[in-house]
Amino acid sequence: METVISVTVVIAYVILLTFVALRARTAHEFEEFSLAKRSLPLALVFGSLAATYVGPGFSIGFVGKGFNSGYLFLAIGLAYAIQNILVGLIVAPKLRALKNCHTLGEAIGEKYDKKCQVIAGVISVGLCAGFSAVMAKAGGDVLDSLLHFPKELSWLAVVIIVGFTTLYTTFGGLRASVITDAFQFAAFATLLPITLLLTFWFNLKWDTSAFFQQASEATKAGLESTSAIKIIGLVIAFLLGEMLIPPYANRALASKSTKISRNGFILAGIFSIFWFMVMVSLGIMARSIIPADTAEDNVLYSLVHEVMPTSGYALLLVVLISVIMSSLDSLLNAGAVSFTQDIVKPFANLSNKFSLNTGRIATVAIAITAAVSALAVDNIISGLLTCYAVWTPAILPSLILGLWIKNPRPLAGILSMSVGATISVILWIIFIFFLERSADFALPSVIIPGLAFSVLAYFIGHLWQKPKDGQ
Amino acid sequence: MKTLVFVIVIAGALIAIASGIWVATALGNAISRNKERDVPENSASDLTEE
Repeated sequence: METVISVTVVIAYVILLTFVALRARTAHEFEEFSLAKRSLPLALVFGSLAATYVGPGFSIGFVGKGFNSGYLFLAIGLAYAIQNILVGLIVAPKLRALKNCHTLGEAIGEKYDKKCQVIAGVISVGLCAGFSAVMAKAGGDVLDSLLHFPKELSWLAVVIIVGFTTLYTTFGGLRASVITDAFQFAAFATLLPITLLLTFWFNLKWDTSAFFQQASEATKAGLESTSAIKIIGLVIAFLLGEMLIPPYANRALASKSTKISRNGFILAGIFSIFWFMVMVSLGIMARSIIPADTAEDNVLYSLVHEVMPTSGYALLLVVLISVIMSSLDSLLNAGAVSFTQDIVKPFANLSNKFSLNTGRIATVAIAITAAVSALAVDNIISGLLTCYAVWTPAILPSLILGLWIKNPRPLAGILSMSVGATISVILWIIFIFFLERSADFALPSVIIPGLAFSVLAYFIGHLWQKPKDGQ
Repeated sequence: MKTLVFVIVIAGALIAIASGIWVATALGNAISRNKERDVPENSASDLTEE
């Protein structure tokens, strides 16, 4: 009976999501596929940004952290909010002001040259494929726990998630991604806080003393078990790790105006504070409801299973799938647009139709790569941290310095991206495979030197290369 | 202090729900505008408010 209810809820949700995706309609031009014709209003930019960054880490992960470490992770999460607000205030309007850019790579290409654009494109596509693999793995895990596939068919869960997401992203492009993101955001941004309120009401009977005591105990335990260096590392990861990854940059570029681009990021940053508060509080409440030895990644499932009826549990799991699909579709689209604009277009004069078809084929190719790679992803958080470790040193210095420095030199961009990517990959391999450190420990040890070498290489290149005539 | 923490958490949940409703409303508007413009000849729709 439980499986029947679960399947019914899944089917109803899929029908609704399909209706929404169909309303987004097929993209007929590459400008629609890549940037939704630069027409996104504030609510959709905000909703889509929030839906993209709220993945498994910011939902399942944060509830688990709240369970074990109380409000410590809310404080750490503030770094993420600050990141979004700073991007909104400083970077997003400058990006949006670049009129002819579809991607971050093109923005770098416009500031430096085509070689830099191609390097940025290769890094962007690689990162999107890596992130997509992590999302595919997470989505497969949730669907598997909902529909209980036989062990030998558990790969089918990944195929269903990736297949459905790829279908609407391939035909509808960014517009379909943004519209379905908005739908998925509306679903999880209402249902998970409602779960919090219901738990407060029915399970804790509005007992504020009990909640406060659990919050104090958990936060104290979190502070005792987390070293200062680890907290600093996590703050750095939240502050820099996801900054301006391709799907976020695409939303900045696709906003209707520079003002909407700026405000979308600022609102998304402010929303993250409330979101983390809700997720961490759910984890704290779970302490008095589920067994204390529950694994961190299972806290949300166990809590919802305990406090909700079967249909509510199924609905919540579907919402968690939404959380993951909304991140996956954005990554697939951003990777495909970057492949077309940054890797193929610099070497060929593409017609609008050819660009559109290349984008669609690239969407499918990245999706297949992600689905296959998902089988190799052991741990969701480690997978995410691996992507963060490479992205920040490889791209951020060139992008941000390029937007601010007058007459940036191409050699500076090439050296910074190459050195940043190489150093961070080498350090990551050393820390993870040779020294066998955990990913969250290794991250700051990779990002900080990676960034330092990247900035150093940038300035060496900048001083080495003379400015072009007329600059 | 207990009451303050409680009020902040409840306010956070309500703000998150309100954000969801705001985005859902914008989505509904975008979809209905697309529907109104849903005429033959591949008319390219957009998500902008008129």
